Amino acid sequence: MSEIMKYDVVVVGAGIAGPIVARNVAKEGYSVLLIDKKPAIGAPKQCAEGINISVFEKHDIPYDKRFINREIYGARLYSPSGYTLEMRYNRVSGVILERKVFDKMLAFYAARAGADVLPRTEATDVIRKDGKIIGIKAKKEGEPIEIRADILVAADGVESTIARKAGINTYAPLHEFDSAYEYEMLIEGFDPDLIHLWFGNNVAPRGYVWVFPKDEDRANVGIGINSDNPMTAKHYLDKWLKENNIPFKKILEVNVGIVPVGGFLRELVKDNVLVVGDAARQVNPMHGGGMAEAMEAGTIASKWILEALKEENFELLKNYTTEWWEKDGKRLERVLRVRKVVEHLTDEDLDVFIQTLSGIDAEKIAGGHYSEVIKALLKQPKVLMSPRRITLLKELL
Amino acid sequence: MTEKIRIIVDKDKCYLCGGCAGVCPSLAIRVSSSKWEFFQDKCISCRICVTACPVGALEAEVVEGRA
Repeated sequence: MSEIMKYDVVVVGAGIAGPIVARNVAKEGYSVLLIDKKPAIGAPKQCAEGINISVFEKHDIPYDKRFINREIYGARLYSPSGYTLEMRYNRVSGVILERKVFDKMLAFYAARAGADVLPRTEATDVIRKDGKIIGIKAKKEGEPIEIRADILVAADGVESTIARKAGINTYAPLHEFDSAYEYEMLIEGFDPDLIHLWFGNNVAPRGYVWVFPKDEDRANVGIGINSDNPMTAKHYLDKWLKENNIPFKKILEVNVGIVPVGGFLRELVKDNVLVVGDAARQVNPMHGGGMAEAMEAGTIASKWILEALKEENFELLKNYTTEWWEKDGKRLERVLRVRKVVEHLTDEDLDVFIQTLSGIDAEKIAGGHYSEVIKALLKQPKVLMSPRRITLLKELL
Repeated sequence: MTEKIRIIVDKDKCYLCGGCAGVCPSLAIRVSSSKWEFFQDKCISCRICVTACPVGALEAEVVEGRA
């Protein structure tokens, strides 16, 4: 007979979304267990570690130098022929985190708020009784255990195993994923106050190569490409490094992962099971970043978990789906539309667009005034002469 | 007769990132923190996992039928 544990809420996965939910719910006095299959929370990372500065205040996360490698002041984009577009601010716009420390600290905040936290504990299945899900089966350092809980939160990443075992359809076609590969390595010659992004169909099909500085001479150097590409992400990154004569023999980490870039779930809740983060495909489909989205989803999910527990009415959980779609889903759908246009750009399109944009006020671009940006592009002679480019851009308006 | 395959992992190449399990439409792959597992009875022979792997650690082997 396996050990039985009982909680109000069990959260599977201690990445970004899971610990936020665990912290917020435990803070109100409910019993919460946060589990993760990895022996060390936060490692290995599957991330370029860049995040907007605004999330700390928004989600009540301390701005703790222990997990901030470097403050960033903007971005530089490179077109296939070498045109560049620089957006540089006079204030810090983002940071490059140390996920190993950051994720662990998020779990620490959850534990400090009252949650129990168990690493090396892997959920293997849900437990059903009379057609209702009453908990999960797990292995804790190899020993089978049962975790009974009123509410289950599936925050188990791209695999999305627990949501699927609970009967939530998280399927998306392979085209709605990116395959990613990254070195954390020593690199020189790139302004360490900016993140750097290279575009091109031979550079990174559908995606980009990134350099995210963690130090003056150390960075996450990675790539994301469409997962249905016949070649591997590793192939493209190594090719790019070689072609640009960038030595890659001082490597500190190799990171690998698959990123959902579309396929947001219509239903994020089924009965007493909620899905958050990568498991719910809550990622920005344009750049593949999902930390801010996971925090947002975790915040909304925890709000409705608390309401449901207080009112003893689990029907209220469904409001998480509604509120998420209103607050972040609609926005991400728009971003997905942009991704679907941008993935059809030729190298020449990318050259023309980036060259044109470099003449536009960068604040407008970064400030999200996309319609002005597109209108500026539409005035460009090389765009005006191409009905295809006009059609592509008009789709974005 | 449709071709039936099984998926083989090159353990030395695999990072246990779990991506293959994420893109598998039929829960035929499970990745724990220490091992990669394949469930033949669930596999629908779509080869999606093989294409998606960021490092090319997966291979399909035909077990019955022909292309």
